[in-house]
Amino acid sequence: MQAAPRIAAGILAAVVLAPAADLYRDRVQGILARNCLGCHSAGARQGGLDLSTREGLLRGSDHGPVVVPGNPEASQLYKLAAHIAQPAMPLKGRKLADSDISALGDWIRAGAPFEEATIVEGVDLAKAGEHWAFRKPVRPAVTSPGNPVDHFIQQARERRGLARAPEADPRTLLRRLYVDLTGVPPTTAEMAAYLGNRSPRAYEQKVEELLASPRYGERWGRHWLDVWRYSDWYGRRQSKEVRFSQPHVWRWRDWTIESLNANKPYNRMIVEMLAGDEVAPGDPSTVRATGYLVRSWYKFNRNVWLNDTVEYTAASFLGLTLKCARCHTHKYDPIPHSDYYRFRAFFEPHDIRIDRVEGQADTFKDGVARVYDADGAKPTYRFFRGNENTPDTSVALQPAPPSLFGRGALAITPVKLPLAAYFPDSRPFTAAALIVQARDEIANIEREMVKLRDAEKAAATDAAKLKKARIDLAAAEKRLGAAQASIPAIEKRARADAATLMTPPDPNAEQLAEAARAAERKANVLRAEASLMLGQFDFDQAQGDEKKLAAATRRLEAAVAALNEPKEGYTPLGQKYPPSSTGRRLALAQWIASQDNPLTARVAVNHMWMRHFGRPLVSTVFNFGRSGKPASHPELLDWLAVEFMESGWDMKALHRRMVTSQTYRMTSAGQPHPSDPDNVYYTRMNSRRMEAEAVRDSLLAVAGKLDPTMGGPEIDREKGHEVHRRSIYFLHAPEYQMDMLEAFDAASPVECFQRNESIVPQQALALANGRLGLALARTLAAELPASGFIAAAFERVLGRPPSAAEQTASEEFLRDQTTLHRDPAGLEVYKTGQEPAVKPATDPSARARENLVHVLFNHNEFVTVR
Amino acid sequence: MAQTPLCSDHRSRRIFLADCGLGFTGLALGAMNARAQEAAWAPPTGNPHRAPKAKRVIWLFMLGGVSHVESFDPKPVLNRFAGKQLSETPHAGILESPLIRENLKAFVPGQHQIKLTLYPMQTGHRKRGANGVEVSDWFPHIGGMMQEIALVRSAWTTDNDHGAILQFHTGRHIFDGYLPTIGSWVHYGLGSLNENLPSFVVLGQPPGDCCGGVGTHGSGYLGPEHNGVYLEANPDAPLPFVSPGPGVYLEEQRREFAFLERLNRLTAVEYPADAALRARIKSYELAFRMQTAVPDALRFKEESAETRGLYGLDHDVTRPFGEVCLAARRLSERGVRFVQIYHGGAGNAWDAHKDLRKNHAELAAKVDQPVAGLLKDLKQRGLLDETIVVWATEFGRTPGAENSNGRDHHPFGFSIWMAGGGIKPGVVHGATDEIGFHAVENRHYVTDIHATVLHLLGLDPKKLDIPGRKRLEIDYGKPIQGIIA
Repeated sequence: MQAAPRIAAGILAAVVLAPAADLYRDRVQGILARNCLGCHSAGARQGGLDLSTREGLLRGSDHGPVVVPGNPEASQLYKLAAHIAQPAMPLKGRKLADSDISALGDWIRAGAPFEEATIVEGVDLAKAGEHWAFRKPVRPAVTSPGNPVDHFIQQARERRGLARAPEADPRTLLRRLYVDLTGVPPTTAEMAAYLGNRSPRAYEQKVEELLASPRYGERWGRHWLDVWRYSDWYGRRQSKEVRFSQPHVWRWRDWTIESLNANKPYNRMIVEMLAGDEVAPGDPSTVRATGYLVRSWYKFNRNVWLNDTVEYTAASFLGLTLKCARCHTHKYDPIPHSDYYRFRAFFEPHDIRIDRVEGQADTFKDGVARVYDADGAKPTYRFFRGNENTPDTSVALQPAPPSLFGRGALAITPVKLPLAAYFPDSRPFTAAALIVQARDEIANIEREMVKLRDAEKAAATDAAKLKKARIDLAAAEKRLGAAQASIPAIEKRARADAATLMTPPDPNAEQLAEAARAAERKANVLRAEASLMLGQFDFDQAQGDEKKLAAATRRLEAAVAALNEPKEGYTPLGQKYPPSSTGRRLALAQWIASQDNPLTARVAVNHMWMRHFGRPLVSTVFNFGRSGKPASHPELLDWLAVEFMESGWDMKALHRRMVTSQTYRMTSAGQPHPSDPDNVYYTRMNSRRMEAEAVRDSLLAVAGKLDPTMGGPEIDREKGHEVHRRSIYFLHAPEYQMDMLEAFDAASPVECFQRNESIVPQQALALANGRLGLALARTLAAELPASGFIAAAFERVLGRPPSAAEQTASEEFLRDQTTLHRDPAGLEVYKTGQEPAVKPATDPSARARENLVHVLFNHNEFVTVR
Repeated sequence: MAQTPLCSDHRSRRIFLADCGLGFTGLALGAMNARAQEAAWAPPTGNPHRAPKAKRVIWLFMLGGVSHVESFDPKPVLNRFAGKQLSETPHAGILESPLIRENLKAFVPGQHQIKLTLYPMQTGHRKRGANGVEVSDWFPHIGGMMQEIALVRSAWTTDNDHGAILQFHTGRHIFDGYLPTIGSWVHYGLGSLNENLPSFVVLGQPPGDCCGGVGTHGSGYLGPEHNGVYLEANPDAPLPFVSPGPGVYLEEQRREFAFLERLNRLTAVEYPADAALRARIKSYELAFRMQTAVPDALRFKEESAETRGLYGLDHDVTRPFGEVCLAARRLSERGVRFVQIYHGGAGNAWDAHKDLRKNHAELAAKVDQPVAGLLKDLKQRGLLDETIVVWATEFGRTPGAENSNGRDHHPFGFSIWMAGGGIKPGVVHGATDEIGFHAVENRHYVTDIHATVLHLLGLDPKKLDIPGRKRLEIDYGKPIQGIIA
């Protein structure tokens, strides 16, 4: 009891002179952060104590106050730290240094002045701004004329004494531009027209033309869907069991393509994906954008679903590894553990559903997969060590962006929803679709009855079969009656629904509801009677079989119970959802998409740069945090980010800026500079392998067989060799990818911020033996003129004429191959495999020409963008 | 077969690929481009981190969950308490064990409740092998090989549903997603041993979508080039694109490949620094050879009647899995680094919720002789010393009854075994409690099996880490010292 003050007295003189607030800032804050806040702060609150706010400090613990300002000896905090009272603190830890204990004493004696803690859960938020990516980008000055991209690239090169490569030849350049902006190479005619265009602005004109092409949206849509991890629904597709994502998320894929083609501002795209249902609740074509969130749906575990939602939203839009804060405070970035769950709180109320579309009652067959806020009151708790079994229920966390961006709360305004949004089946097409469905059912039962009557006749002499056939027939008649009765029931339910929605309420609402109930009951009774008949039959047959009997009894009981349904009221045509949305996701989206956000534009610009230039400016594309890598060209990154935002988040303008730069137009040929082996500083352009989709689409394109139809439901991946639509439209989910695309490193639908560019023999087999390549080679060879064939084939497939050496080699090949085909007797032939879609030519020289085209499809230069 | 040396001296990460023979098949150029700026990081060289005790792996995995108490961990005490409630026996305390909490991360909470009515063993058992290890009567052939085998009776996992299949291969619960599997780590770390076959091969019927699907031999973030390559045991169509289809002449195609190489080499003159181009030329050479090498490995023409008999190819019951096991030996022999074999897929699983006796007796009869035959064949050919054979299953089955004559999933303790290069032969390691409920002695989570395999191959899993991909301590596991020679 005596020891501490005595030692303190010695130091007191030194510190007492300093103002008390300084004592707090210079000493106490650090002492608390190092020794106490790990357990006693907003996230953890062991013993109910939160030392991260003045309010928490004064409130004390579950056992009472911990600080009596002015009186350290009466303050529990001091006594426990000084080991004057028990339990001695830090619990199980080393005792504080005497100087620290006396500093605590002095601070309490001075009235325990307190500033809002900048240190939360071990994180010093005041220092967040020391990391470049957490500060707003400022537009750097451009001191030379021309494209600022070139200015910054040149500056960096000059600093290292590096020179730039000359411009690529026009053929190479045009092919690069086409593949880059549209995903397929130019046609021979397009190439010729470009080479013949003498205008000094020929290249710029081409850029405009390609950016205006609908192929641009398909090409860049696929890029963005990598980042946003597009996946069609999966689980067990054969048995239609949806476990991940949802049917019809392809509408979000189409929204992506259409939005890019329309040059919708990127910030608006973010808002629509995260909160389309809040920003334009009455507009299904905007609401479909929330397919982005629907994609993370997971049947078996809500927390897995929300974890993915939180972590990928942070990584995709913000380049933030929020994921690391799921179990504990982030080890590198200033992100306290609780911040993870505050971010989750934005999504806590949301759920998914499928709204009907006109003309289809069955939402498995078609519909709009979307999100909505189902429960705004659901609390968000932090999970200790990320374990869902140990939630900290002492504090419900409020939605907030990570506190490193400032601790002011976002303004969150609830959104009042229009009727069509909260009661989508009030739209007249629902009743119409349900009636069509009932008519289909009637037709089906009628067809079934024809068969049953035949069965009845056929069974004339077999008593058992006859009995079964008659029961089935009688039950079918009842079902037919039920289906017929369901049509007026649908109409009456629709009328009753409408009555409840009128203001002032329809005076006839009650009668209409009663009429709907009666009509519905009539149909239900008939349906139940059919079940009853069949159930009774099964029951009779099941005598002796315990299990079947039990099942039949259950069915019977259900049928009897259904006879009285609905007991009161009627069933509305569809579900009514909450009439307002919390506005939380909209607030988050607007915060992400704001010009004040230091990360959003930088992250997007980096993604675009990487896809144009073959390497990113920040190599850790999903991590702009302290454990990520610094930008190779920081000023360029910031200039582009600011420009992007100030242009109104105009993506096409940014593409234009990049692809018209001299940097983009350089040749990729030549040796790497010894001091820059990885070409970080762009002494030349990077050559690249086409992405999987571009390989397949380009095969189709050069053969003139690419089907330009856009949009629509995902196409069976097995049809990739026969259906000539662009690859983006095929089924793409973790276990359901097209074989050919998979071989060429198609995006993992789980996570793909950056494609792999592997080179494995499976790619060679896919191109050399795939049915698509063989068929297209045969089609194309037949189309090209036999005279001047070699030049025409090179031009068509590789976008350039053959060199003299290639011409010679090709002539020899054609000659040898023709000889071979002239006398095929004795040649061993492949017997196994699928029948070809197009048969080889019978004429030996024609077949040799097919072989030549097929080889060019396999040429390294075909899949390479130089 | 001689090992193709992978480049140990890589001057530039981009270039070394093409210069190191065919080893590039195990390494991704793109992965390197993407990560080139990670200064401290280098991709695996393909050389082990320390002297290896084995070169390759054959990994036999039984889908559905084999009952440990009726295979390699017989529990006669179950017969004594047959029909009794667990609470009526001296073993009631088992339910209070903290191990239950530690062990269980239920896929659907509430499902697969612990079965409380003890169920007797459905088959006999006796001491088998020269070293006399208790093995059930359903596994007489494997039982006869116990002197070669290290049996681990104390494995545990955490998923009580078939996501445990994925977990056994990635080391993580299915809720954590699709991560690199043990085969892909080996492939990533060591690359290829041969010049004409894929190096990580999958045989048998893989699990369905429910339980990891192709992810159970996938590569997660290591990149798709490290996926297991699935081969049908059909030499005519073992993998997609293996043939250009009927009507194409072999000579016609051979000349196409030769002409293609000529053209690509002409381009290489223009782009002398282009490693990707050189790698692509090599990849076509390998692809061409794969077209014949893969079917050849799956054709058994030159196998003697004696060898065929060893695998049970002469009996209808044992033939299908016998062919898979023989194919595994032939692939291993030809230098395939990791052969992953599934048994029990497509509605044929060991998942005996009811009729366990029928289910297990039939399935055991299908695999017992072929697996034992594989061990004998490897040994007689001198291959067993450098091959690790692993026999495993996703979890065991409950000591208590389900549906009156079956057993439910049991993640709390079950058996696996290993044999071959670097494994101590003839040992029994670890134990479950008296009724086979908890692994109680020398407990091993599934990643300990991964760690053992990697250790014997000379790999240090921590040295394979990729920047930005954080792994937990439990992901690495610890080698099972008790079974390492």
